[in-house]
Amino acid sequence: MLGYNVKIALKSLRRNPILTSLLIGAIALGICVSTTFIALRHLFEKDPLPGKSQTLFYVRLDNWDPQRAYVAEDPKSLPSQVTYRDAMALMKSGIATQQTPTYKTRLFVHPDPKVSRPFSENIRLAYRDFFTMFNVPFQYGGAWDKAADAKPEQVIVLDQTMNQKLFGGANSIGRTVRLGERNYKVVGVIGDWRPAVKFYDMTQSVTAEFEHVFMPFNFTRPLELTPSGNSDGWKGPDGDSYDSFLNSEVVWMQFWAELPTAEKQAAYRQYVDNYVRDQKKLGRFQRPLHNEVTSIPDLMKELNAVPPAVKSMSIVSMLFLVVCSLNLVGLLLGKFLARIPEVSVRRALGASRLQVFWQHVVECELVGIAGGAIGLLLSMGILRLIGKFAHQQAPELVRLDGEMVLISIFLSLVAGLLAGLYPSWRVCSVAPAMQLKVQ
Amino acid sequence: MLEMHNIRKIYRTVTIETHALEDFSLVVNSGEFVAVMGPSGSGKTTFLNVAGLLDTFDSGTYTLDGKDVSRLSDSEMSRIRNRAIGFVFQSFNLIPDLNIFDNVDVPLRYRGLSASDRKDRIERSLDMVGLSSRRKHLPSQLSGGQQQRVAIARVLAGDPKLILADEPTGNLDSLMAREIMDLLDRINAAGTTIVMVTHSPECAVRAQRQIHVLDGKVVDLDMPRISLAAPAGAGIASTLG
Repeated sequence: MLGYNVKIALKSLRRNPILTSLLIGAIALGICVSTTFIALRHLFEKDPLPGKSQTLFYVRLDNWDPQRAYVAEDPKSLPSQVTYRDAMALMKSGIATQQTPTYKTRLFVHPDPKVSRPFSENIRLAYRDFFTMFNVPFQYGGAWDKAADAKPEQVIVLDQTMNQKLFGGANSIGRTVRLGERNYKVVGVIGDWRPAVKFYDMTQSVTAEFEHVFMPFNFTRPLELTPSGNSDGWKGPDGDSYDSFLNSEVVWMQFWAELPTAEKQAAYRQYVDNYVRDQKKLGRFQRPLHNEVTSIPDLMKELNAVPPAVKSMSIVSMLFLVVCSLNLVGLLLGKFLARIPEVSVRRALGASRLQVFWQHVVECELVGIAGGAIGLLLSMGILRLIGKFAHQQAPELVRLDGEMVLISIFLSLVAGLLAGLYPSWRVCSVAPAMQLKVQ
Repeated sequence: MLEMHNIRKIYRTVTIETHALEDFSLVVNSGEFVAVMGPSGSGKTTFLNVAGLLDTFDSGTYTLDGKDVSRLSDSEMSRIRNRAIGFVFQSFNLIPDLNIFDNVDVPLRYRGLSASDRKDRIERSLDMVGLSSRRKHLPSQLSGGQQQRVAIARVLAGDPKLILADEPTGNLDSLMAREIMDLLDRINAAGTTIVMVTHSPECAVRAQRQIHVLDGKVVDLDMPRISLAAPAGAGIASTLG
């Protein structure tokens, strides 16, 4: 019977192409808008490290001004990064299975003069654990070893973009790159690593470009590196020396710890609190004890990884789809009621009320599916444009994945049903004898 | 076949009650061909709608083919309309954008028959009314008489026990009307019960019995004549084919 209903519905839709276009167009518009914004929200909400994100924790300590919270209006707020000295202390916990402080700095890259002129580049400093904690895939080579972390050795990891720029995409393992005043040996080239959100550093834009060069964290002190990302402090360094900066209350690095079990998480939180209590005895951390050890999903929620505009637009877009559907109720009602003579004949010939109802629901669903398909295509185009202009790291990620396509199909069916339920019910409620005599 | 006792049907609006049928009683035996006559507004079509389960009634009893159909659900009534009753209307009531084949197919679709069974029935019934060659035509491409023959083919394909015809020749000229009446005669001769509402005395005399309706009541009941038809329930297709 479904096949027959589809056949009847197609005939009915072909009967009045202008009305049909109007119906399909309205659903297409609703689906395009709703799918686009839901896809954007979905992109930002998606777990960047499925299966692992719950074990990776971001550490924050409240070392702020005793007189004023980090955000003055919010007494529970605390700095979003940690100081160098606290990061070094946290490294000594021995509880985390993997851990790293990390930040970005800026250095000049000196490529082969035949390739390009020197250019300034954001460089991320981290321990080798960074790569294994965040499941960074490698195209060539791998992360540097622990010895390179400790010494530190002059080694770097490039991403594909930088490897393409400096070495034309060839296997560059063992080649050297001059950064600042030193030469560094390439030990790894990152493969296709494109999380939608820059989850390892959400202190700036979550869609900011990932760094293209990574080097051992322990170069911080010998090279006297300073951050090119956010740095913040309630009081400045006590002196002008670099060591004063490192020992200051200025927060400028992110700290990550991998804590795979609940026991480790509890022990780590205890360790952090104890550390701060010890520091209080030294005159630091004069605010009430307040530290946060937060998993990636919780951090994404807390830091609003989904831009508020996207969040509110996704809700508005759903309402827009509902309005589009409800606007069609009148059109469909008129269309269906004009068909009462045919419905009366079908009823006389043995169609039950339910069969007539489903026949018309199928027609509405065909409108929904056609509108949904067009809306989906429009949404793909719009997302491509949004990706191009608004997502520096991976514009190609701003797209509809399989899950979103399924959601969109579901929304199309719901929209068709919403528009057609009342008209279908009205037309099937007509007494069968009503129009048989007067046709 | 059809037994109505004291049927009452009232149409109500906010201000008016119209008694369309009042103590309407009628018995139609299997294999009969009955003509129902009466002036406009006398209740003929209401009777036909009630008889065809297209409309409900307020009181009385109605037995169709031995089954009390006074209080049935919509789906049960639809099932009986689909399997036991065939309708022929004055205005043919073909679906304009379906071709002849598909029009005849409509009741069979709701019966859930297989495609091959439906095709056999449709081809056979179109053969019976002499329109096999027009199966791909749309109703608008046929004359009135041909359209009524398609409507009859639609009935024949369902092989019902009872045909209810509402002024089947009302929109046709006399030649075509005669053709349609000949066809109905042949169908009745094959054993199918026919109840026909008509204004036309020429058509009415073709029936075995004439009933006159006035103000929602049967006022003049002919005694049934002896039918020369095949035994009741022999089926239309078997005799006509």
